[in-house]
Amino acid sequence: MLLLPLAITWFAALALAPLDGRRRAVGAAAVAALAAAYLALVWLAVRVLTDGPVEMIAGGWGPGIGIRLRADALGITFALLSLAVLVAALAFEVLGGVHERSLPELVLFMATGLTGLFLTADIFNFYVFFEVAMISSFILASYGKEVRHLRAALTFTVVNLLGSVVFLSGVTGLYHVTGTLDMDGVAQRIDEAPDGSVLLIAVLIFVAFGLKLGLFPFHSWVAPVYRDAWPAVAAMLSAALANIGSYGLLRFGAGLMPQELGLTATGVILLGSLSILYGGLQAVSARSASEVIAWSSIGQVGYILVALGIGGPIGLSAAILFTMVNALNKLVLFLAIGLRGWLVGATFALAAFSVAGVPPSAGFFGKVAVFRAGEASGHAALLALIVVGGALSLLYMFQVYQREYWARPTKAPPSPLAPRLLVFALAIGIVAIGVWPEPLLALSGRAAAVLSGGG
Amino acid sequence: MRLSTIMTEMVARVILLPTLVTALALLVKGYTSAGDGFSAGVVAGTVVAIQFIVFGPREPIARFPSPRHAPLLAFGGVLLALAVAFAPLLWGDPVLTQYPRPGEPVVHIGALAFHTALLFDVAVFLLVFGFIISVLGGIGSFERHSQGGES
Repeated sequence: MLLLPLAITWFAALALAPLDGRRRAVGAAAVAALAAAYLALVWLAVRVLTDGPVEMIAGGWGPGIGIRLRADALGITFALLSLAVLVAALAFEVLGGVHERSLPELVLFMATGLTGLFLTADIFNFYVFFEVAMISSFILASYGKEVRHLRAALTFTVVNLLGSVVFLSGVTGLYHVTGTLDMDGVAQRIDEAPDGSVLLIAVLIFVAFGLKLGLFPFHSWVAPVYRDAWPAVAAMLSAALANIGSYGLLRFGAGLMPQELGLTATGVILLGSLSILYGGLQAVSARSASEVIAWSSIGQVGYILVALGIGGPIGLSAAILFTMVNALNKLVLFLAIGLRGWLVGATFALAAFSVAGVPPSAGFFGKVAVFRAGEASGHAALLALIVVGGALSLLYMFQVYQREYWARPTKAPPSPLAPRLLVFALAIGIVAIGVWPEPLLALSGRAAAVLSGGG
Repeated sequence: MRLSTIMTEMVARVILLPTLVTALALLVKGYTSAGDGFSAGVVAGTVVAIQFIVFGPREPIARFPSPRHAPLLAFGGVLLALAVAFAPLLWGDPVLTQYPRPGEPVVHIGALAFHTALLFDVAVFLLVFGFIISVLGGIGSFERHSQGGES
């Protein structure tokens, strides 16, 4: 059943909407619903990976007429990743105590939007689920209700609404030149469309997803928002919602408009390189921990872009693998900086090692994959860049570690033990992935094969 | 403070029922002869909005069932829409499948045809209408709070 995960989160979100999310039972129910949806998703993933893509056309209409929903290896990989992040972040917040009644159902709505957009084969349906996820994230961003949280929410909402408009223009443009909203139809007919207009559309869509991802020239919102947002919310925004950006670039760029991506590959790699350097340098000079992580995330998405620009099975699977690893790092880092007390320093250090790409951590394999892609492209400068970026991340991460966990005596009382244990377990998970990376490597390979036509 | 004149008040009173009937007609027979819940909701919501504009927030609240229940209407609409959309999955059909299937006989009462798409439109109507009334009620209660001192 393709839609079971979607149905579970959607109905659960509605069922919990009238209830007070600050009560522990409601929070626990939301976590249970998300976990159930996750299990359904895992089951679907097993079917997709063994028997190939699962499809359904809404309303039982014929192909080309109805709205197509499809789970393939790429979509399911991103859905698995994003939902895992949401389960962890929501469980973290529920264990620590929820402050606002609407949090659990908003997270469930976001999960609905994310699952829906990763499992659709229709570009307008993609936009609709994209908005479901975005609208819940706008409200989530104000979670905490201090002035700084509201400021973060306002910046986030304004910038991302702008991004939505740009993306919708791109979708309209695609419909205009191809006459269809179905992804396969668009991919087939795009070659017959006039080159200039397709290039314009490609640029619009690139800008929209670049904004979402927080790439170098579109990064201005990232640092203030992640600095001011509540830690668990920052984790959800950066580790779950931002996946829309990389998924969109992969699906629309490599999947629907491969020619345009090939044409602009040099520019894409250049922007990615600038992102890596600029984000890294800003992170070194930033002061607070959350600001460093925010700048670091700008640098890290640069690797995704570089890998995407290199393209081919190696580059695309590196981009997917790096997205996964990066999301897990961000999740642990943002959750850890909200905590105080025993175990937290160790948790932060583990995730920081992963960001810097020190073995044995998941980050090491992410970096290796990008490095291999760089090697395949044959540019020595790219390899140097990846090494410099890694050195920068090691530097800024340990600056933060020194300031937060060595130099500053903890005045604040330690946080409750349960969330600390949860985050520590997640950090151990990152190391475990680094020790046994084969499943993740295989998954990213399968997902990349979807884009290069291997099914 | 009331901006309306006797003329606008009379017009607002007179158009209320005919517009609601029009909305009902739109609901069961839309532009391509299936129902159209969205425009029905907008039309019905607009006429209630006119009541709020002409008479101020107090009188419509006194005359109609309290707008405090409107969120429930919208909520019920969403639940019904989702239920109609996802129910076919239970017996193995794709989402949003319409019954009876094309070509099968449909129950008619006069010109009114009963099929599950109509149920979906009713749900959309409830959602749109309920949402508009909730917003109006919210604005109205805000105005009453801010004017609480006088009258």
